[in-house]
Amino acid sequence: MASVPSPGCEHCGLPVPEHRRGAEGELFCCAGCEAVYYTLHEAGLERFYELRQVWAEPVPVQEAPEEAEGRFALFDDLEFLGQHSEFLADGTRKMEVYLEGVHCAGCLWLIERMPRVIKGVVEARFELSKSRLTLRWQPSETGPGRALKWLEQFGLHAYPVHSDRIEARSEQGRKMLVKVGICWAIAANVMLLTIAVYAGLSAESDPGLYRAIHWVTFGLTTISLWVGGSLFFRRAWGALRMRRLSMDAPISLGILVGWGHSSWVTFQGVGEVWFDSIAVLIAALLTARYLQVRGSALAADAAERLVALLPRTARRVVDGVVEVIGADRLEVGDLVEVRAGDVVPADGVIQTGASAVSRSVLTGESRAEPVALGEALEAGTTNLQSPLRLRVTAVGEATRVGRLMQWVETRGRHRAPVVQLADRLGSVFIFFVLVMAAFTAVLWWHVDPARAVGHVVALLVIACPCALGMATPLALTVGLGQAARRGIHIKHDDVIEPLSRVTDVVFDKTGTLTEGRPRVAVVYGDEGMARAAAALEERSGHPMAAAILSWASGRGAGELQDVEEVPGAGIKGRVGERRLALGRPTWFGDGEGQGQEWVRGVVEAGYTPVAVAEDGEVRAVLGIGDAIRDEAAEVIEELRGRGVRVHLLSGDDPRVVRATAKTLGIDEDRVRGGATPEGKLEYLKELRERYGKAEVAMVGDGVNDAAALQDATIGIAVQGGSEASLVAADVFLIRDGLRPLSELLGGSRQVMRVIHRNLIGSGLYNVFGIGLAAAGFITPLLAAVLMPVSSLAVVASSILQRSFESEEAPRGEVTPRAVEEATPAVGVSS
Amino acid sequence: MNVLYFLIPLAMLLAIGAVLTFVWAVRRGQFDDLETPAIRILYDDEGDE
Repeated sequence: MASVPSPGCEHCGLPVPEHRRGAEGELFCCAGCEAVYYTLHEAGLERFYELRQVWAEPVPVQEAPEEAEGRFALFDDLEFLGQHSEFLADGTRKMEVYLEGVHCAGCLWLIERMPRVIKGVVEARFELSKSRLTLRWQPSETGPGRALKWLEQFGLHAYPVHSDRIEARSEQGRKMLVKVGICWAIAANVMLLTIAVYAGLSAESDPGLYRAIHWVTFGLTTISLWVGGSLFFRRAWGALRMRRLSMDAPISLGILVGWGHSSWVTFQGVGEVWFDSIAVLIAALLTARYLQVRGSALAADAAERLVALLPRTARRVVDGVVEVIGADRLEVGDLVEVRAGDVVPADGVIQTGASAVSRSVLTGESRAEPVALGEALEAGTTNLQSPLRLRVTAVGEATRVGRLMQWVETRGRHRAPVVQLADRLGSVFIFFVLVMAAFTAVLWWHVDPARAVGHVVALLVIACPCALGMATPLALTVGLGQAARRGIHIKHDDVIEPLSRVTDVVFDKTGTLTEGRPRVAVVYGDEGMARAAAALEERSGHPMAAAILSWASGRGAGELQDVEEVPGAGIKGRVGERRLALGRPTWFGDGEGQGQEWVRGVVEAGYTPVAVAEDGEVRAVLGIGDAIRDEAAEVIEELRGRGVRVHLLSGDDPRVVRATAKTLGIDEDRVRGGATPEGKLEYLKELRERYGKAEVAMVGDGVNDAAALQDATIGIAVQGGSEASLVAADVFLIRDGLRPLSELLGGSRQVMRVIHRNLIGSGLYNVFGIGLAAAGFITPLLAAVLMPVSSLAVVASSILQRSFESEEAPRGEVTPRAVEEATPAVGVSS
Repeated sequence: MNVLYFLIPLAMLLAIGAVLTFVWAVRRGQFDDLETPAIRILYDDEGDE
């Protein structure tokens, strides 16, 4: 990772081409960075550059601000504001939006500094864990559109929040947290009071105080039962009515029996009470529940955010006038305008214009595709080059994306829930405890009826499944939290178990094993001349221009003159003294010659050819494609070391796929190219038949993978994948690269080890305790003292686990510059 | 030991105070986001620009 500290761009730190200089000698790699840099300075916000060192990932290069007034006009629309914002008592309005692209402390600082820069903005608060911005403004002075537009120029994109479910979730979380707090406060006080009893206070030494302590602890524990315990009673009752025994049943039984007996003793004034263990039990179990709820709420928020990325506004053209409306108000037959940088709001057919589009939301395929009159575009496609007008053919849920989302949703619901290990063990355990309790009661009834109740209660207290109940959720929650901190988001904690048993990993090649963005992979002919010509791409908006520019970085020579871009063909102009051109090979004629041979070579290797010509004669051909990720081979080797079979499944040309597999050392019979979405499902089915019991993890990124991601035991979506695949997957990796994948598999095995350790430990403890209690060796008091010991052991073992924390580099260490330099452009296209 | 009859209710009152403070803090949303404030503390130039 040793990158030479060359004077890079003032804003993003990337290498700077020779001919670009700012007004006062600053260096900028592109117009976008320059604009951002000056905007920051004009607003007096230079401190951004200090703060962004502090946290996480480096600032990515942002594209030049697109003109997108219409998108922001929506945020000022009164009808929209009526639905999405609220009036506050002081006359200001408040709204929440998703904000994408916050990468560092600098970004956060910038956002929250808005009230000083934009007049009328009263408050801006950002929540990192939910990516949500809360904006408060004075309606008489400004609208939110202006504030969000200001953020847009720094590459922070705002999307309306379309659900109040999130609000409901956080309200639920808060209520539960209050309960947890109350229950712990009660537990602590009850324990403190009970210490007096342990220390020797008895009915003989000070009867008045002894009774008083009974009554106070009775009162407190009853409140705790009311506040916290009711949750378990309700759930246990719900399960019983469905004729099922859930984990809540023995918990409720333990709590109720203990409380009932202690209360009886309190009223009678003779015997022992153990309100302390009941209070601690309620608090501990409630904490475990709370952690689970919080974890799943975060995952649900994340999924909702992905859905929000789909376009919500459209530019409808009525009688030649463009108006911005909500995408849900579009109808079939409407004419919509889609400008460069916009996302297509509905399925449609191109009526006017020609452009290049990226279907990466749908396919994960980053390559730009040229489109022309009469072609159909799907909602979710991004227009990259020039304005288009579409006739809408399908809207909302009838669009391809809409259908896909629906499919993913219904499939998700029908999927059989993975039964958790603890619940399976729990049911067996409950039965065992109840049988043992009955046995003890009968036994002691015959031996010594006076002591029977005491022994049964001691047994129920020591057998309390407190540790057993906390073992799984606590270990899972801590594990999930550690994973999330390393950029691995696991949607449900029940996938950890199958993850630890994965036998087959199926890779989709596009964007998973490859970098997912185009770069110059091969060069035929005069390389020096090609680098000189690359300077022309500076003036081009074509998606491949960036790839060619970064390949030739810093080597552009001479002044650019008479530059002319021919849409659909290429770009030409004068660089210094030379007349150079880059573009489609056919643009330079399709005669025979060396140029044609080069082009054939490039195409056969699976790349896209770009011809470079001087004075109209082809002198070089560049092959542009997608490079294999640096660490792919290493990760695959590591997986094999864990005994996991690695497969490669791709929709690409079979020749190309085979070549990639060979480079990475994947067995020939585990590789399939040219696979359709149905073919991928078929392959997974075959895989299960071939190996019998196979736990398959599918790693993919496109919509074409969504079905397979859902069908596989575990679907894993990678960074940069399409939104649809992120929704379908069980796990998504937001850190770039494949390294998180091996961390994920290793980490989940580790979490399962911790869970097993916890379950075996607390199970053994309980079995011994029950045995001793049944035999009459343990008094209820001793049971109450011993009981928390196992819980504490489980808590310590769960919290101290180091499942996802390897000794590897902390996040953010890999800078784009380092990646740029470390990755030679070898490999095969997608 | 009679002082305990006074001290225990006093301790209970203090505990109730603590619980009420906690409930107030939760209602105000202070526990909703545990990540952002850790970074927000870095802006130390509040107001002197």
